[in-house]
Amino acid sequence: MSRARLGALAPLLLSLGLAVLSLPEVAGFLVRALGLHAGTPVPAGRLAWLARQHLVLALTGFALASGAGLALGILATRAAGAPVRAALDTLATAAQAAPPVVIVALALPVLGFGAPPILLALAAYGLMPAMRGTVGALATVPDDVRRAATALGLTPAQILLRVELPLAAGPILEALRVVLVLAVATAAIGALAGAQTLGTPIVVGLQNQNTLALVQGAAAAAALAFLADAAWLAAAAGIGRWLRP
Amino acid sequence: MTALPTTRPAAWLAPVLAVLAIAGLAGLPFLTLAPNRLVPGSPVGCGLSGAAAGVLAGLAAGLLAWPGRPGRARIALAASLAAWIALLLAAGHGAADLIAGRPPAARAALGAGAWLAGLAVAGLVADSARALLPRRGGLVAALLLIGLAVLTAWAGLLDALSLAVEYRARAAALGAAVLQHLGLAGASLALALAVSGPLALLRLRGGPASRLADGLLNGVQVVPALALFAALVAGLSAVLAWVPALRSVGLAAIGPTPAVIGTAAYLALPLVRGLAAGLAAADPDVLAAARAMGLTPRQVLLRVRLPLGAPVLIGALRVAAVQSIGFATLGGLVGAGGLGAVVFEGMAQFAQDLILLGALPVIGLALAIDAGLALLGGPRTLGDPA
Repeated sequence: MSRARLGALAPLLLSLGLAVLSLPEVAGFLVRALGLHAGTPVPAGRLAWLARQHLVLALTGFALASGAGLALGILATRAAGAPVRAALDTLATAAQAAPPVVIVALALPVLGFGAPPILLALAAYGLMPAMRGTVGALATVPDDVRRAATALGLTPAQILLRVELPLAAGPILEALRVVLVLAVATAAIGALAGAQTLGTPIVVGLQNQNTLALVQGAAAAAALAFLADAAWLAAAAGIGRWLRP
Repeated sequence: MTALPTTRPAAWLAPVLAVLAIAGLAGLPFLTLAPNRLVPGSPVGCGLSGAAAGVLAGLAAGLLAWPGRPGRARIALAASLAAWIALLLAAGHGAADLIAGRPPAARAALGAGAWLAGLAVAGLVADSARALLPRRGGLVAALLLIGLAVLTAWAGLLDALSLAVEYRARAAALGAAVLQHLGLAGASLALALAVSGPLALLRLRGGPASRLADGLLNGVQVVPALALFAALVAGLSAVLAWVPALRSVGLAAIGPTPAVIGTAAYLALPLVRGLAAGLAAADPDVLAAARAMGLTPRQVLLRVRLPLGAPVLIGALRVAAVQSIGFATLGGLVGAGGLGAVVFEGMAQFAQDLILLGALPVIGLALAIDAGLALLGGPRTLGDPA
């Protein structure tokens, strides 16, 4: 238990440190101390608003990717879904071969500026880790347990809900943590297609040689990703305690 | 994964693909005609050869859904390849007809229907090739599809398509961008390998140093790529302001340096994990036997651990190589050039053809490297540790 708490503590501290660094005064002091040209700062209020937008986008993308990944992973491990596994594997490989920035770029002329391109990219990018994690987690359930459940007269749906998913919950939650952190980290790319995220100050900073905005955006985006990591770890530890009192 | 039944081609996949192809051809714009390369075009339907492609796709699906003798799979492959050729010709001829007699700025671009039908027909070709050759069917199908497309383009039949027009305007720059991209990805992979080798050995030995390195690499994975690249630009310019002598070595805050360091930082974790798993793959008994034979630790590493762990090592290299192509795309943002620069220029102009010219080679390179390294190592399937 203490190890689980410690696991969440490191990303939480990192997140807090980076959040402080993203404040205009702190970042400005650092940038000037390093002898760099500062540029116009991003006000803290605007940064907080961007962080909220960023989080909404990332969570929507996470919900799309993890929902589809879980469903496809469960489908692939059912007897009826066995024929689809090759097709799903190809789909997952193809989704991995196209990096999120390329998906955002390809979707831009079709879906237009704003949130839709990055949501598509987040869904596609998170799909494979979610699906692979689910398939791998369900494969850790021993066959004897499944046979015992069948012998007890449980229906396939009951076996899935009452036996397989609870037993595989640990690895599935771990896979979903990766998907969530990927989503929060990748949502920054959305700025390239005009979505308002913490990537926006970075892109603007790179275009206008504004090192201050660039540092603020980078620190804030990293802080949010570490915060998501810490929150998930803490929640997973809490759920684990609740499941095994 | 042994608990799962072995895979066989899904019987319903081919009909679904055929329906997608026909629906795309009938219901979505096949081509679009625009007065210039920047504005969105007005939709145009597919002609007679597009309809022929739909019929051929349906024929191939019908043959695949009820496979009687192996001969049927062969006819299905021929029919789906014919559908592919019909699609290519429909696109090329249709575009040529559309822009004939119009000002040179007019562009005929592939519409959503053409892309959807193309993907579905490519899926049909892959499906029928797999029915014939279960092991290498996908690769054979990819080579056939690309070969036919290149042949048609080389014969000048696709010249009127806006993508080809855009390519002709930028052929030299695009070739340079592909080479630059491969250079960025290769340099990142080399740097990551140079760092990961010692770290993997450290991880094999365990201890606090290895845990610290592991924590650092895990932390890097959490940092958004855009943020890391930006931080590297800021950090490098600070370092160069303090130690200007580094500029003479070729380091710069903008350009390939931040791109290569940033990409390598992301590749390090999968590489260290894969290398350590590969080096640990040898059976303890085999290692004991090797030591008993009087092999030095160095010889054990080179003659026993490396050869026995080769499949795992190649698998890790494959994942890292594919990722390096993707991450190198972001190099375009920090002035490193490559295909990312082409993509971002296209986004800035809102020019779809330019975006495609940059994005399609990125996907193609990633898939080609994946397939190439897959030939060396064993198959990587769903459920393997990523």
